[in-house]
Amino acid sequence: MTDFLQLAFSGLTVGAVYALVAVGFVAIFTVSEVINLAQGEFAALSGLVAISAVASGLPLVAALALAVVSVGIVAVLMERLTIAPVKRMTTLTSIILTLGVSTALKALMLLVWGPNSRGLTPFPGQDFTVLGVSIRAQELWILGITAVVAVALIWFYERTGWGKALKACAEQPTAARLVGISLARASMLSFLIAGVTGAVAGVAASPIYFSSWEAGLAMGLKGFVAAALGGLVSIRGALLGGLSLGVLESLVAGYVDTGLRDAVAFVVLIILLVVRPGGVFGRHAEARV
Amino acid sequence: MRTPSTRRRVRSWAALLAASALALAGCAENEGGGGGGGGGDESGPIKIGAVLDITGAGASLGVPERQTLRMLAQQVNADGGIDGRQVELIIEDNQSTEDAAAQAATELITEEQVDILLGASRTGPSLAMRPIAESNQIPMISLAANAAIVEGSEWVFKTAQNDEVVLQNIVDLASQRGWKNLALVRDASAFGEGVQETLTALGESAGIQVTTTQKFAPDGSDFTAQMVNVREANPDATLIWGIPPAVALAQKAYTQLSLNAPVIQSHGIGNQVFLETAGASANGLLAPLGRLLVADQLPADDPQKEVIEQFIADYQAEYNESPSTFAGHAYDGFQIAVQALREAGTDPEALRDYVENLEGFVGISGVFNFSPDNHSGLDKTALAIVTVENGDWKLVDNNRD
Amino acid sequence: MRLLPSRRSDVVGFVVLAVLLAVFPLMAPLSWVNVGVYALIYAIAAIGLTLLMGLAGQVSLGQASFFAIGAYTQGILVTRYGWSGIPSAVVAVLLASLAAFVLGLALLRLRGHYLALGTLGLGIIITVFATESDFTGGTSGIFGIPKPEFNGRTYDEPAEFFWLLIPVVVVALLVARNIVTSRVGRALGAVNDSEVAAETLGVDTFRLRLQVFTLSAAYAGLAGVFFAHWLAVVNPNAANFPLSVKFLLISVLGGLGTVWGAVVGGFLVEFLDEGMKTLIPQLIPGATGEVQLLGFGIVLVLVIILLPGGLHQAWLTLSGALGGRGRPAAEPPPRPAADGAPSPPGAATGPTDESPLFVRDGRPEPGSTLLEVRGLTKRFGGVVAVDDVDLDVRAGEILALIGPNGAGKTTCFNMVSGVLTPTSGSVTLDGHRIEGKKPHVFARSRATRTFQNLQGFGSATVLGNVMVGRHLRSRSGMLRGALLAPARREERQIAQAALDTVELVGLRDEAAVPAADLPFGRQRLMEVARALALEPDLLLLDEPMAGLSADERRALAQLLRRLRAGGMAIVLVEHDVEAVLALADRVAVLDDGRLIALGSPDEIRADPAVIAAYLGVDEHDTEAEDAVRQMSGESGGGRA
Repeated sequence: MTDFLQLAFSGLTVGAVYALVAVGFVAIFTVSEVINLAQGEFAALSGLVAISAVASGLPLVAALALAVVSVGIVAVLMERLTIAPVKRMTTLTSIILTLGVSTALKALMLLVWGPNSRGLTPFPGQDFTVLGVSIRAQELWILGITAVVAVALIWFYERTGWGKALKACAEQPTAARLVGISLARASMLSFLIAGVTGAVAGVAASPIYFSSWEAGLAMGLKGFVAAALGGLVSIRGALLGGLSLGVLESLVAGYVDTGLRDAVAFVVLIILLVVRPGGVFGRHAEARV
Repeated sequence: MRTPSTRRRVRSWAALLAASALALAGCAENEGGGGGGGGGDESGPIKIGAVLDITGAGASLGVPERQTLRMLAQQVNADGGIDGRQVELIIEDNQSTEDAAAQAATELITEEQVDILLGASRTGPSLAMRPIAESNQIPMISLAANAAIVEGSEWVFKTAQNDEVVLQNIVDLASQRGWKNLALVRDASAFGEGVQETLTALGESAGIQVTTTQKFAPDGSDFTAQMVNVREANPDATLIWGIPPAVALAQKAYTQLSLNAPVIQSHGIGNQVFLETAGASANGLLAPLGRLLVADQLPADDPQKEVIEQFIADYQAEYNESPSTFAGHAYDGFQIAVQALREAGTDPEALRDYVENLEGFVGISGVFNFSPDNHSGLDKTALAIVTVENGDWKLVDNNRD
Repeated sequence: MRLLPSRRSDVVGFVVLAVLLAVFPLMAPLSWVNVGVYALIYAIAAIGLTLLMGLAGQVSLGQASFFAIGAYTQGILVTRYGWSGIPSAVVAVLLASLAAFVLGLALLRLRGHYLALGTLGLGIIITVFATESDFTGGTSGIFGIPKPEFNGRTYDEPAEFFWLLIPVVVVALLVARNIVTSRVGRALGAVNDSEVAAETLGVDTFRLRLQVFTLSAAYAGLAGVFFAHWLAVVNPNAANFPLSVKFLLISVLGGLGTVWGAVVGGFLVEFLDEGMKTLIPQLIPGATGEVQLLGFGIVLVLVIILLPGGLHQAWLTLSGALGGRGRPAAEPPPRPAADGAPSPPGAATGPTDESPLFVRDGRPEPGSTLLEVRGLTKRFGGVVAVDDVDLDVRAGEILALIGPNGAGKTTCFNMVSGVLTPTSGSVTLDGHRIEGKKPHVFARSRATRTFQNLQGFGSATVLGNVMVGRHLRSRSGMLRGALLAPARREERQIAQAALDTVELVGLRDEAAVPAADLPFGRQRLMEVARALALEPDLLLLDEPMAGLSADERRALAQLLRRLRAGGMAIVLVEHDVEAVLALADRVAVLDDGRLIALGSPDEIRADPAVIAAYLGVDEHDTEAEDAVRQMSGESGGGRA
């Protein structure tokens, strides 16, 4: 039982990181139907920026703020420079474009920070053990931060005019314009949200999961699977999807075979798409022409 | 939209030009002393080719190896070369890929006509080079560890010790301390492959068995699942086998989940990154490591002490940093090649026969004794048992008895 | 006037390519030849990817997965089981295709994102499996794969292997080119322009995409086979994501519009790769690792934004600028003369010809029920767009469906034709229940439709559009298309039949014009011709008169009468109420989603509910006012 709790808890923590990356996918997809393959790179980049900022003497809080803000700017720049100029955005174009950005970002990180992975200074707090389950302070930080971001996002999308307008964009561009938001601005805003949530995931995870130039690929992919579990259009679904994916991975690693951990997400993805293409936690979306 | 505007045309051209300019920049990296002269002939420089993982996943191996080779080539040439002939060192980057390694090996042999081939830094690329060296009948010395690189080969040798050598030390250590049940937590990549099988085979006579094997990805960062299963198995000691930073994180997770069986780490931890990342959790672990890391603590009569200290001093002077284990593999490969060229000349068959029968060669990784059946040359005395004390390496057992 | 793309320039192209490749190893230094071998191997995989992306419009981020399957299979069969090269290559290619088939079965029904991410996932699963399994040799993989040997000759020099690859690449290109120009290629091209229109012409999008995906994996598998032999080692790296990215880059850079691009792209990317690895560490000292990725990423983004057609586009631009002989895009399309009025439909046969058209043996007897709609309902959220509609359509009649804006006419069409799934209710066509099935099922029962919002295939000519309409009246599949010869006669028949149909609607002179260049009204006529090319029993026309001149309207009405005489059932949604009442046998009136009246034109004219419906709507709706005025006999004024 202790083992189960320990596995489930550590899975929940990893899952929280996936969830934060996943909501970024949803934020962008609902507005422009673009799957942003650079989503994981946002997280990797913010971790590395924060590490450098701390190393250069900034206090931790300032380093975190700097990392989140700069990745937010990178995300908006990405939208302005690569997404906005394309007039007829097809699935094909969007995938190739965001793949290009993701690849270039990866290589840039490699050039600036080198190939080694490293961790950010842990956030303050004491590790402790409860019911035989050992809990690190950083894990509580991750869960807490995810909860705060989740509540903020749900409030934004369901209670504010801008949030509702963003949600409406994909289905009803005109409706969105009526609420007073242009598609261009909505797209920019969605990338900002994705950049910030990705960055938050990156800095929160860095102290225990480490950051490196190539960490974004796995994080992005698993974030995508989490978002797909929620049907790609639901923030709540993506959050739930991330948490359950994390727990499932951890349980498979613990009880089946640790080597299979990274395959779990994709086996789940393929089974999911065959059985329930609309997602498990999302509204059932019509998957037709 | 249909008829291309002038602006679009200009843009297309610019993109095309940029792309072709980049493409043209492609050419092989070529360095070392004077040109001219083919291999195999008796005049002109002697050519040593090296294929290293300078960029890509193996860069942390290939870069110090390149530095070592450059330094040693300069030393040889400054001392008048080999039999009055200069050494021309040609280093190619295989970008840590198999295809580039094969490509580079082909070029070095057929175009540069090198007399002997060094590399690659890691197992995969070395395996890709092997058939090329064999079909062209040119001796090759790999700097990688996997026994498969030399198994059954007439032309291929290697300088990094087999996993078996490391594991024999671990089995000896365990039986010395009375540890019967070992838990294994290993790297899921090439580095950790076959460890469980070899460990089980070697431990059988001493009654040592592996009770659980857990794997982790080389870039893994969450070790909860592995350690929970280790705790479940309740071993006498735990062997963690991999390279930093993963094994440092594993070490941390181990202590954090309050597992208290002693930890044995592999020879993969021998660098500063491990000490920095693992921090205090590393104190007290045991690991079989090369003597390069504890050169200052070696007894004065150790046969390797002088060679290692000289190498560290030279390397420090040249590059202002300490040489890594991998630099040591490159040192051994190069010096074996030079000694063979000096004693046997440039005839490939003679070269091969010389290396194959080389005994008592004192290198950085150990004392090499090659034979036709053993193209690896190192035995378990190549490693010493080391622990970590207050963030630094500490020699426990020099392993020379 | 050239209606079909000539094949002669292609033949010249293939010869030039083969010669260029053949002399390359003689002229280039050894290191280039070495790079060239990989360029050719990767080009084979990239040709497959180009087919998938350019033709099927789908992205795979896991082309390396199939490459790895091919390479591993070859390696294992040859080294472990002692198979000889060719039979094991066949198995390797088949296994790679099989993997794609199974994955495609699951993912290709969904939107393109899922295939992209699913293939990426497959790459990771294969890497994990290959690393974990002893069967695949773990991380060391399979090694010691011998170089290929034919007639006692071993191909172990780069130049020899390069020459060995040339015929393979040329045949691979030929097959790909033939598929692009075949019936299947045409249908998929149409899908890329408008999936919904292609489906309603009987194109089974899913099936064709699955075929192309399977084929593209076969290409990757074949490349893997050669890779295994050349490198002698296969390890889990073969399924790596960066390799998939490289394949993608080769395809995109070469140009998705042409299979040729992959070969050029292969060489360019391989040299770019080499160049970046040398250049970047020189510019930025201390740079190590996969720095060439920087170039890959930037090139991908730049090409998509600045040069979406890749080098192929640059080549077209270049040959156009030099006034050289280029492709059709560079030739000025013959445009309808500005002064002479374009010919109205039916002009060729004279304005008074009333002889039946498209008579077909086996068509249901005139008057028998062809389409049966019962309780058809569609809700969007809380809004009921169509509410419990019952309607029969009989063979040989023209039924008009009218009603104010937003009455649910188009939604009805969408549900009947399979574009939308009804919330409830049934649609029975020729005895088969088809509600909720995809539009090609509707088309298979000899029924098709046109669209209110134009759905022309913008990248094809008028004739090309109409030829897609012949999709179900021809049979050549991908295999026959690939072999070309047997399919050519059928192609000529398709072209001839399509040309006859084009003539029928009066578009003969514009047959070779790109569809997107036609004026609005002429595009509508083209869509009518496209639908007729299917030789349907049931034809749904959504506002076919909109944008047509008075002459054209008259001619179209005449055409519809002749089709009716031939036994075809026609359902017409039209705003021009006067025209409709003059033409239709029966009229159905929808208001607010409900069927409020059904009867002869005279009955409808007199129906108070209908007049109320048209009067009750928004008073600024000039169309409705016109309709009411027309119905009560006034002359219409509001519409141009």
